[in-house]
Amino acid sequence: MIKLSSIEKSYRHGLSQTFVLRRVNAEIRQGDFVSIMGPSGAGKSTLLHILGMHDSAWTGEYWLFDDPIHQLSAKDRMRVQKQHVGFVFQSYHLLDNLTVYENIDLPLSYRDVKKSEREGMVADILDRFNIVGKKDLFPNQLSGGQQQLVAIARAVVAKPSLILADEPTGNLHTDQGKEIMELFRRLNEGGTTIVQVTHSQANAAYGKRVINLKDGWIVDEN
Amino acid sequence: MGVLGQDIRYALRSFRRAPGFTFVALITLALGIGGTTAIFSIVDGVVLRPLPYPQPERIHRLVRVNARSTDGSFSAADYLDVKRDTKAFVSIAALREDIIDLTGRGEPQRVPGAQTTGGFFDVFMAPPIAGRVYREATDQPGAAVAVISERLWRQQFGREAGAIGTKVRINGTPTEIIGVMPATFRHPVVADVWTLSPLEVPVSPVPTDDGLSSRDVQYFMAVGRLDETAAIGAAREQLKSVGARLAREFPDTNRDRTFDAQPLAESLVADVRGALWILLGAVGFVLLIACANVAGLLMARGAARRRELAVRTAIGADRGRLMQQLMTESLVLAGAGGGLGLLAGAWILQGLMALAPDNIPRLNEVSLDWRVAAFTLAATMAVGVLFGLAPAMQASQPELNTDLKDGGRSGTTRTGARSVMVVAQVALALVLLIGAGLMITSLARLQAVDPGFRTTELVSVELLLPQARYSEPLQRQFYAGALERLRANPVTARSALIFPFPLGGSNARADFEVEGQPERPSSEDAHAELNMVSDGYFATAGLRLIDGRDFTVADGPDAPPVVIVNDAARGAFGGRSPIGARVNLGTWVTVVGVVSDARRQSLDTPPQPAVYLPYTQFVMPYMGVLVQTGQGAGATALVVRAAVADLDPELPIGEVKTIEQLISESTGQPRFRSFLLAAFAALALLLAAVGVYGLISFSVAQRVPELGVRLALGASPWQVFRLVIGRGVQLAVAGVIIGLAVAAAAARLVGGLLFNTSTTDPVIYACVSLLLLTIAALACYVPARRAMRVDPMTALRSE
Repeated sequence: MIKLSSIEKSYRHGLSQTFVLRRVNAEIRQGDFVSIMGPSGAGKSTLLHILGMHDSAWTGEYWLFDDPIHQLSAKDRMRVQKQHVGFVFQSYHLLDNLTVYENIDLPLSYRDVKKSEREGMVADILDRFNIVGKKDLFPNQLSGGQQQLVAIARAVVAKPSLILADEPTGNLHTDQGKEIMELFRRLNEGGTTIVQVTHSQANAAYGKRVINLKDGWIVDEN
Repeated sequence: MGVLGQDIRYALRSFRRAPGFTFVALITLALGIGGTTAIFSIVDGVVLRPLPYPQPERIHRLVRVNARSTDGSFSAADYLDVKRDTKAFVSIAALREDIIDLTGRGEPQRVPGAQTTGGFFDVFMAPPIAGRVYREATDQPGAAVAVISERLWRQQFGREAGAIGTKVRINGTPTEIIGVMPATFRHPVVADVWTLSPLEVPVSPVPTDDGLSSRDVQYFMAVGRLDETAAIGAAREQLKSVGARLAREFPDTNRDRTFDAQPLAESLVADVRGALWILLGAVGFVLLIACANVAGLLMARGAARRRELAVRTAIGADRGRLMQQLMTESLVLAGAGGGLGLLAGAWILQGLMALAPDNIPRLNEVSLDWRVAAFTLAATMAVGVLFGLAPAMQASQPELNTDLKDGGRSGTTRTGARSVMVVAQVALALVLLIGAGLMITSLARLQAVDPGFRTTELVSVELLLPQARYSEPLQRQFYAGALERLRANPVTARSALIFPFPLGGSNARADFEVEGQPERPSSEDAHAELNMVSDGYFATAGLRLIDGRDFTVADGPDAPPVVIVNDAARGAFGGRSPIGARVNLGTWVTVVGVVSDARRQSLDTPPQPAVYLPYTQFVMPYMGVLVQTGQGAGATALVVRAAVADLDPELPIGEVKTIEQLISESTGQPRFRSFLLAAFAALALLLAAVGVYGLISFSVAQRVPELGVRLALGASPWQVFRLVIGRGVQLAVAGVIIGLAVAAAAARLVGGLLFNTSTTDPVIYACVSLLLLTIAALACYVPARRAMRVDPMTALRSE
């Protein structure tokens, strides 16, 4: 599903160059549940944002299914991203001005899904995540765990084949964290490929594979 | 539509959640759009709106022109020749303003009227709202019929249909009311009664020996309706050819003169059109400043929303979609601002109408109607795009990785575009301030002009006589009787008669030829201002007798005709003393005195050569009395009313005004212009100050960590204070430099409206620049104080 070959990212400071990622080669199969781990500054989030096509300033080859992302224009990358990728953030990043329903509806409206279809899809997700009763609340009326639940609902509503999660339980206490990880496991069992960045061994244990990064290099993969 | 509706809903919700931003943005827009709407409605009503008649573009005013000037007054013979020989007009009519005494129905009323020839209503083709109008084809000259205005119909007849056919006495003559014109019928002069002249031209107020064949006395205006098949070019050619023929045949009166036609709508507003466009331009500047201000606010808001926009991008919004949403928000904001602006415009317009001088033509046609609403809508949409585009373009390109990580706190501060907005605001405000500075200086200099006559303790009272009841000897007799009675009363002991009042707007002039002096070419002004006065006028008005004598009772109707000239007329006497010289004013008169100069036309027109004739020898039924008194207008009016009632109980007195009022009215338009420009400039200054304050405040908030580091490294709070103030002043200086260049170019536009004031007056430019820089520095004061109080520890922790 994903093939990375010699991915590099660096920043120039005058004559010197600082590398954030060095010659990253990796392959992720459909249905995988991969955890990216490593110390702070290892390049974990940078790699995730490259996978999510939020970052385009890198070199190397990145294939997603049959699309050569490294060759695509910004517009085409946006098309591929909309088609395949859902993103979950550590700080949830729900939009404060929108209700739970509207937050979940937003990715569908950006994908030009008809209103009648959207209503059905959002209702289905609300039901699946058991948050029907919260649909008219605003994010600041929810607990952290509930907000992350909504954020995951928003990430999966457009039925992406790949979910990228950047420390999804980093701001949650243990019980809430477990609940979220169980949810990811169920999504993965349903066929969704998941790539998460995490510091937690316990969370990594939910996955099938771990990629360890250090100073931008992949130092270990199992 | 679904997506649009969603965007509008989100926009409304986000504005509700940011009440401070929304309030400031809406007030700014409402003031900008409101001011523009109000001024546009005046420009529309006065300049742009077609006259309310069928095919109004075909109605023209006929004028006499020479190489230097255009004159709208016609003599009887010239008019009759033009009417006969110009075929391009389907109808031509003549009219002159008249004073109508309406009696025979309740209290005697004095109302403005117009005496016209039979084709007058054929030119305008405006249907009456009741009865009929007189026409050239059906009504004979002199028929005792009158058409009245809707106002008079309402006030005198309670809008009864029975008014038609009623006989009233108009200037003493029983006259039948045949029709009522709608309230919109107010051109080319405002009148309540239109009467039919007994001649083929209006009757002359001055008795002429040669009647319809006179080409010397120009006293009425002419209008014509262009034939539907004729082009205006052809009509002008015909007028020119009539003019050329008359110049050949009557060189004494018509040499170097010809005729022309001007669209009536244009000729009515020729004096104020330029000033109104300049005011619209000025208020447009205010609107631009308001836009720049709101754009600055939106950019600041965009910076605060970087996390939100990054999230939207991360979950699939492309740049076009973000732009669409941000522009929808701008347009929703503009729409609300436009709605409030329309309300503010109605309110501002009400204020402007109350302040506007009466002599702005067509002012009564000004209203907030669908045309103005359409303008406001267009302005609102343009404004929405204008202030929304730059912030939307900027905000729709989030730095995703950074913005998601820290909510945009540590990203580039991106104040560059906002700085450009602030510089533009300062520059535009400076242009307006310089415009206002020039206007106010000009007005102050105008008001400081010595008019040459007394400027306090003078009261003027119009004593107009209806010609139908007062023949020339009776006019003389009445005025002499009135003067005698007034001088017998201690309140009005120092009274004199005069026509016309100084600064009253009259253009009465006479040809002026000195016996024994070479004839001047007609291209040079060979006219003198014509005045009729009683003895004692010069002492009452405060003019000095320089040479010779004042008029006396001996200068009666049968005595040799005499004249007094002013100092400015001396040049025409070739260096000789004017006393004893003879002057031809249509008839030969002997100069018996010379008086000091006085400004009659306006304060900004230098004194012209003038002649004063004794009313006992040359009387006009339009005389007035000027009283030197410390008792005020009310007490004077009482005495004058009693004296007039003693002579003629049916005769009302005319307007009573103090000399201060006459002077103030004569400067009404420049005062109005100066007031408006000063108000716009003050608003611009306020908005620019808010813009500077907003940017510096925002920049301080963004730089808290940096300021914390500076303070931690040993910078004193004063150094931080100077750093912040310096940034604001730097932007203001850039704005001032650009503004000075723009102002120097734009000021030429107002050059024609200034009196004794250079458009590049360095003192005004310097003072205004200094004022703006001071205000900009003051606007930075609060954020600079805030910057001084940054706690380095807190600032660094938040980093």
